[in-house]
Amino acid sequence: MSDDELIALEELTVVCAVTPEWVRERVEEGLLPAAPEWRFSALAVRRVRRMVALERDFDAVPELAALMADLLEELDALRARLR
Amino acid sequence: MEFKDYYRTLGVAREAPADEIRKAFRKLARKYHPDVSKEADAEARMKEVNEAYAVLSDPEKRAAYDQLGRDYRPGEEFRPPPDWDAGFEFSHHDFQGADVSDFFAELFGRMGARGHGQDHFAKVLLDVEDAFLGAARQIALRVPKVDAQGRVALEARTLSVKIPVGVREGQLIRLAGQGAAGAGKPGDLLLEVHFKPHARYRVEGRDLHVDLPVAPWEAALGAVVRLEVPGGALNVRIPAGAQSARVLRVRGKGIPAQPAGDLLLAIRVVLPGADTPKARELYEQMARELAFDPRAGT
Repeated sequence: MSDDELIALEELTVVCAVTPEWVRERVEEGLLPAAPEWRFSALAVRRVRRMVALERDFDAVPELAALMADLLEELDALRARLR
Repeated sequence: MEFKDYYRTLGVAREAPADEIRKAFRKLARKYHPDVSKEADAEARMKEVNEAYAVLSDPEKRAAYDQLGRDYRPGEEFRPPPDWDAGFEFSHHDFQGADVSDFFAELFGRMGARGHGQDHFAKVLLDVEDAFLGAARQIALRVPKVDAQGRVALEARTLSVKIPVGVREGQLIRLAGQGAAGAGKPGDLLLEVHFKPHARYRVEGRDLHVDLPVAPWEAALGAVVRLEVPGGALNVRIPAGAQSARVLRVRGKGIPAQPAGDLLLAIRVVLPGADTPKARELYEQMARELAFDPRAGT
C-alpha cells in the first residue's frame, strides 16, 4: 500500500469513469487543476467526481459544473472550520 | 430479492413520458444531492433514485423492466425468469458506478462492461486519533463478480486496511490490486480519508485545533496546564495576560508527518459562577477594588 500524493491520468479516468478526452478538455479550459505531466491530486479526484455527476444528472455545461464544484469546495472548507 | 418499483422511487406514473421522468429525476437529484441535502438518508436515497433513472431513462431497459414488472408488487419476493431479457439489447452509456441494488445487478448485471467508477473508489471514515496512532480498519465493499454464465452478481467483500500514521483529511490511500477486475487484472482501489466530527478536535491539513478552557487567574497570572491530546499528554505554558480567543501554537504537536503539523490551542477563559457566598464576595471585592472597564476603548 502506498499513499501517493498524485495519481496518473489513466487512473483518474478509471476511478471516475470518464474518458481521457473528457479530462483533457476540462484541464485545457482551466476547469480542472492538473499537476505537471498530467498528474492529479486527491482534490482533483473529488472535483472530477462532482463535475461528472453534475454534468450527467442535470445536463450541466462543463463551466457550470466547474462553478458548482468551486462553490462546493468553498463549502467544504467553511464546514471544516465549523467542526 | 425484493422487487423494486422504480416508478414509485421517482414518483411518476407507469405511462409517464420520458421528459416527465427526466424532470422528476432532476428534482430528486437536487433534493438528495449529497453535498447540500439536509435529509438524513440522502446518500442512500440518491443511490435509489440514480438506479431508478438508469432503468427508466433507457428505452430498452424500461421496456424490459415494464414487461417483467407487470406481475409484481413492490417489496414482493422476486426471481427473474430465465432469459427474461431475450430480445432486449441494453446500452449503458448513462449509468456510472456498480453501486447498485441486488435487484438491479440481477436484472441488468449482464451488461458487464457497465461503468466502473464505484468499484475503484470508496470513502473511509476515521477518528482524529487514528491519524496520530495509525489504525486498522475493516471496510465492507460490494463488488460485482462475473459467474460462469456471464451474469454479474454483487459479492460482499471485507478488506482490512492499514491506516498509516499522519493521514490527512481528503488524502487518498491506494490499495493495489483491490479494485474491481476490469478486462483482465484487477485495478487499484482508492480510499478517500475523512475524519468524523469530534467534540474537541478539529483538523485542518496537518494542524490540530483544540479549545483550551482556562480559569481567569490562569489567564491573568500565567500558568502551566496539563492537556490530553491524541499524541499524549503535554504541559502547556499559558502566558500571563492571555485573553479568550488567543491562539497558542505548539509546534510539531499536530498530526505526525514530515514535517509534523502544529497544535493550535484556542484559549477560552471560563468564569467560575458566583454561586457561593465566598465566590460572590471575591467578585464583589474585585468590582470595588479593580478599576476595570472591559468596554474602555470600544
